Amino acid sequence: MFEVFKKELKELLRDRKTLIFVVALPVAVFPLLFAVMAFISSQAALEAEQEVHTYAIINGNYAQEFTDKVFYHKSFALYKGDETFNTVEDLTKAVKAGTIDMGIYLPSDARQTLDNAKQSEWQVVYNDAKAINFLFDRVKELAKEYGDKLRTTKLLSFGVSEQQQAAIIEPIKVVKVDTADKRENLGEKIGGFIPYLLIPLVLMGATYPAIDLGAGEKERGTLETLLLTPITRTQLVLGKFVTLLASSIATTTITVLSMGVWISIAIAFVDLAVVKNAFSSLTVLDLGLIFVLLLPIAAIFSSLALAISIYARTFKEAQNYMAPLSMGVIFPIMVALMPNVELTSKTAFIPVTNVALAIKEIIKGTVDYTLVGLIFLATVIVAGALLTFCVKWFNKEDVLFR
Amino acid sequence: MIEVAGLKKKFKLTKDHKKNNTDNIDPREDKQFFHSVRDVSFHCNKGEVLGLLGPNGAGKTTTLRMISTALKPDEGTITISGHDIVKKPLVGRKSIGFLSGSTGLYGRLTVKENVEYFARLHGMSKKAVAARCDELFTLLDMHNFIDKRAENLSTGMKQKANIARAVVHHPDVVILDEPTTGLDIMTTQTVINFIRGLKEQGTPVIFSTHHLDEVALLCDRVAVINQGISCFDGTLDEFKQTGQSEELNQAFMNILTESRDV
Repeated sequence: MFEVFKKELKELLRDRKTLIFVVALPVAVFPLLFAVMAFISSQAALEAEQEVHTYAIINGNYAQEFTDKVFYHKSFALYKGDETFNTVEDLTKAVKAGTIDMGIYLPSDARQTLDNAKQSEWQVVYNDAKAINFLFDRVKELAKEYGDKLRTTKLLSFGVSEQQQAAIIEPIKVVKVDTADKRENLGEKIGGFIPYLLIPLVLMGATYPAIDLGAGEKERGTLETLLLTPITRTQLVLGKFVTLLASSIATTTITVLSMGVWISIAIAFVDLAVVKNAFSSLTVLDLGLIFVLLLPIAAIFSSLALAISIYARTFKEAQNYMAPLSMGVIFPIMVALMPNVELTSKTAFIPVTNVALAIKEIIKGTVDYTLVGLIFLATVIVAGALLTFCVKWFNKEDVLFR
Repeated sequence: MIEVAGLKKKFKLTKDHKKNNTDNIDPREDKQFFHSVRDVSFHCNKGEVLGLLGPNGAGKTTTLRMISTALKPDEGTITISGHDIVKKPLVGRKSIGFLSGSTGLYGRLTVKENVEYFARLHGMSKKAVAARCDELFTLLDMHNFIDKRAENLSTGMKQKANIARAVVHHPDVVILDEPTTGLDIMTTQTVINFIRGLKEQGTPVIFSTHHLDEVALLCDRVAVINQGISCFDGTLDEFKQTGQSEELNQAFMNILTESRDV
């Protein structure tokens, strides 16, 4: 078995494609990809935030204070062109033509309506399909500020003090007393995504080399010679299985380490408080526990990938079979992301979902160690059963000589 | 000595095969199975080369795969030097060297690593592996490319490497399944010389081929299989006599015709 493992490992390490998938991708490409994505999305948000939008306002003089607020807002610039706008239709046409980004229509009786303690309806014309949806919110906010001020003044004139106004407007104030600490809060938010990243990587670390170790033997014409050596099929399968397990674990370890390094670098250069808060509370024991839980998962994936690859006649056929396997793995992880799906003595027995839930709990710092033990046991049993199946599969002539 | 008696092997028909083959022309097929080998027997003594002949699809490869223990026969016995290798396949594997025209090498390993790997899988010690590899590399004139990766070798070099791999563990019997198919003249000559060398050492060799000139050149015995059944097992001279001429083609055709008539 050890000879098979040694040889397979040597071959894997000499395969550039495998090295790219197992080492280069986790070390450089993934973090780079995430960094680029983060940069692009933050840039886009920043640009949207900083962009100045041209606007026109009709009957602005009926609410001068509001009009001034809009005028002095950093995101808005008053239209100074030759066109004149009198109706909502004019504003709509101008927004569609791109002459202005936004139009605000105040009814001509705005002041009078407000003075009579009636609700006045103002219209904001803009293109909601564009990625400039800050527009409406900003105008709404300015209108609210203005409305609040009007209300306060009005109520004061009725002899209602500001304190009384607060009690009338909001008779009951509900105050949140959160028992969850910062870690638990962040863990709940990001904890579900960590297994979403880690578990598919464990799978990728097993599937790519598996294609070469099973179907590759058939396609190269080396399987028959291997079967004729005086080692048992069990030893042969175990040798290949351990190789895949090592590759799978290596991919995971490299990914976690590289993520750690990249996060440290990011924190050193940019003040990423959220990232810092989320990860600084993780202890070495937590990381070790996550690693231990991923071991039987890696064993499950290695057994499945090897069984599929042995069945396939060619590389291409094996690749075709691996795609549904990936889908099959993503689904139970998504289940763990669903709200109200929690780690219980029942979910502890659902393969993959259980580990995803446990990782989430570990990151939150609320993990039940008895359940972790149960998960480990359940996953080991599944991995063992799949490995036994794999050995039996490897003994079947109609699988080997299809 | 190797003795094969009453070998039978059937394979389950796939659903597609059943659908596509409603006419059922092949007598080896029934509703469920394809009886690839129905009754094959022959023997090969020490120092003899046995040529296993038969048309395409006759069951030669299945027979050789059973002898090499890759497939388990449904019925019959295979004995090598008194050991029943159907019952004890691991013993058989230690005694057999196998090579076919389509046998491959591990491309990312060097020639030396390829040969050493199989030697170690056969349980040879480090010292024995080194000595045997050196002996084979000299014998097959391979020293100038043993450190090259197998993926960079020419067809001739690959076949030499395959020969070395097949015999690195000193097998008692060597099985060759169409070993010269697709090879150029020079490489074919290497294989022929290798078979001659084995014969001189007293190692029984069973090889299947479609090239009757190779049979005339190398074989002491001939076995013919047609539609999964042995229809001839005898010496080369006895084989020639069935054709009543020195031309082996005629003998082969006569045997096949007679077997169909039966």
